[in-house]
Amino acid sequence: MHEFSIADEIVKNVLETAKKNKGKKVVSILLEIGELTHLNGEQVSFWIKELFKDSVAEGAEVKIKTVKARIQCKGCGYKGGMGSDQEDSFRHLIPASCPRCNSFQIKIEKGRECILRRIQVLK
Amino acid sequence: MKIIKSKGPEIFDIELEKDLLAKNKSLARKNRKRFDSSNILAIDIMGSIGSGKTSLIKAVLRKLRMGTKVAVIAGDLTTTIDAERIKTEGARVIQVNTGKECHLDANLIRQAVDKMKLAGVEVLFIENVGNLICPGEFPLGAHKRLVVTSVTEGPYTLMKHPYIFREADIIVLNKIDLAKAMRVNPSRLERDAYRINPQAPFIKANALKGIGIPKLIEALGLES
Repeated sequence: MHEFSIADEIVKNVLETAKKNKGKKVVSILLEIGELTHLNGEQVSFWIKELFKDSVAEGAEVKIKTVKARIQCKGCGYKGGMGSDQEDSFRHLIPASCPRCNSFQIKIEKGRECILRRIQVLK
Repeated sequence: MKIIKSKGPEIFDIELEKDLLAKNKSLARKNRKRFDSSNILAIDIMGSIGSGKTSLIKAVLRKLRMGTKVAVIAGDLTTTIDAERIKTEGARVIQVNTGKECHLDANLIRQAVDKMKLAGVEVLFIENVGNLICPGEFPLGAHKRLVVTSVTEGPYTLMKHPYIFREADIIVLNKIDLAKAMRVNPSRLERDAYRINPQAPFIKANALKGIGIPKLIEALGLES
């Protein structure tokens, strides 16, 4: 739902970075989106491309890498993914419990980020 | 920032590590420090449109009778309806209009706090924009996060939106007086809440009649 505002923030960052580095054209950008965020990659990408129009980034490729969730269990010390038996697209809907001991006392270490990792520019 | 030249003479890779959600989190931490240094308990109230967030705040204020020791930030898209409603309870109120944005963020709260006179304020209620999706992802720096849902939203709200309920410190089920008419079983919703977030107290309330309000005040750590 807030894909537009995130996309707007990303576009501002991309254009600022391109300008600072005297890039004449942005060729591509790489985003890393955690699977536990409520961000839909396709929507984010759509809005970025829309907002890139009439700028040095018009037509740039938007690459999105999904970051898998990583948790740490305070109960049994388990460190790792959230369990592979659950269907990927619905994983964030399942109450997050430790896949080893089922404890709800877990800390989410990865999967809630939205990172602008790389910008490719033409000088 | 690291710049790597690659793929022919003109294309450059610019490596960044800009977490766009982290910016909000760090601002939220700053807000929290500010509340702590002023001895203010900040409470973020989230929930769907029409779940009764404003009514619940009004009911708590009425019971607390703390007057201007309580401040309220009312978030909404464009109107001041909620702020006007709360003002009648004697608290200090500031309206934050997000325009088209579907949630409050830490920066909006920072700006609102800048504008408010917080001297003497002990409790700050922050009423988020009516929405069960986005606010969960944007912490504001509040000490407690309350999610309000109501029986008029039907029997599946909790299971459909586990994310925000997982973020909650307290879950309130409002309008319990209408459960029968809505054919919703409050115990079933309570069970859903327990599955999603066993730590959060689940409070059945009827804000208009003041039912459940003492329990809520206790869960918030406030004395009536």
